[in-house]
Amino acid sequence: MTSTDEELVARSIGGDADSFNQLILRWERPIYALAYRTIGREEDARDVCQETFLRAFRALPGFRGQAKFSSWLYRIALNLCRDWIRRERRTGFVQPPEDVDLIDFIAAAEPSESIEDLVARKDQMRVVERAMARLPEDQRTAIVLKEYHGLTFQEIADLLGCPLSTVKTRLYQGLSVLRRELAKTAETL
Amino acid sequence: MTEHICQYSGDRGQAIVSYLYADEGGFDAVERTAFAAHVTTCEGCRAELAAFEGVRTMLGQWSPPRLRSETHSVGSGFRSAGALAEAKGGPHDGFSWREIPAWAQVAAAMLCLGVGAGIANLNVRYDANGLQVRTGWSTAVPVPVAQVSQPVAEASQDAAPWRAEMTALEQRLRTDLRQTPAQGGNLANAATAANPAIATVNSETLRRVRALVDESERRQQTELALRLAEAVRETNAQRQADLVRIDRNIGAMQNNTGREMLRQRNEMLNYVSIRTAAQRP
Repeated sequence: MTSTDEELVARSIGGDADSFNQLILRWERPIYALAYRTIGREEDARDVCQETFLRAFRALPGFRGQAKFSSWLYRIALNLCRDWIRRERRTGFVQPPEDVDLIDFIAAAEPSESIEDLVARKDQMRVVERAMARLPEDQRTAIVLKEYHGLTFQEIADLLGCPLSTVKTRLYQGLSVLRRELAKTAETL
Repeated sequence: MTEHICQYSGDRGQAIVSYLYADEGGFDAVERTAFAAHVTTCEGCRAELAAFEGVRTMLGQWSPPRLRSETHSVGSGFRSAGALAEAKGGPHDGFSWREIPAWAQVAAAMLCLGVGAGIANLNVRYDANGLQVRTGWSTAVPVPVAQVSQPVAEASQDAAPWRAEMTALEQRLRTDLRQTPAQGGNLANAATAANPAIATVNSETLRRVRALVDESERRQQTELALRLAEAVRETNAQRQADLVRIDRNIGAMQNNTGREMLRQRNEMLNYVSIRTAAQRP
């Protein structure tokens, strides 16, 4: 039977290293995806992901289970992303170089997908990436947490430390910007 | 054309988002029913909801690149929790030399030094011409004694008290170099026998290298395929552009030809009319 996060956390605090490894296996991909979609750079997203687990491991004895383990991890990752954005003095989203994007994209290709489909999908992804890059950080974070991580409005509000209505407003504004940007791109194609 | 104005009494943006995501925290049951009823009559809200659905579909196509570690196994990019505990002091890599005992590191360093010196064909000589350190496989060009400058000769004489020591060092280096391969092998074997962890580390390293090589090959193949597809696409685009240009040029040529024919016809008519007028009495 699969252990819950809380059980694994409890065992990790008790010194069971394997339990923490299981937590890493379970949450590595979502945390990396969150970091990537927030800061837009693969290498840095990987660093943020790794640093998130390192910090979580260090702070684990102090984790009292007030929030879900996943929310706690998300908060650490988002704080690290915010630090990264501040440190780099960037808008928080940098377009990856074309050649790097190409190879990494290929790696994610479905085996049944033809090269033409792959190229078309890559173009679509670039369009979405560019549109996301236009969003202010708070709107982008809200959309990433809602669209790709399926968090509820309340969970996002708790995570970002803002009222629920603010989350909804950010989502609405973000979607409106995306709609405009995507329409603009469609016109130029 | 009349512009449709939404009559919804609440915060329209928030209501649309709540309705779009069907989030339990967004609406209560009464609000949901009220907004659902409103949507059926409001063209603007319906259009915006449809547009947002389209945006969400597009967003669904954006996936981050794979984690490098996923090509082997999920999570293998991280060190174990035990290793994390050791690395509490600072940043870490995927592999740490601290995991290998110091004596094994010394053995490895000696092995590297020996192999490096062997490959470089290190040759140390101290004779009447002074200390000579030579590397490489080409034979040394003999330098005539007469060409050796006076200061160097003086220097070698000054260094005479060190000669015995240098000779001993040379002998020792030569002996070491001769023995290093065998010694390295013995050390490695001894290390493996003494500590099975070394064997595990070696096999783990080998496994990682193999996995990296496999991944690299796969990436190269897929990259090549994509490059080819892009090249084909670019060629097609170029071909289309060329066809359009050729078409335009042909059109221009046809225009020119037509214009030229018209000019010649006019000239001929002029000529005929002039001749006719001239022949008229």
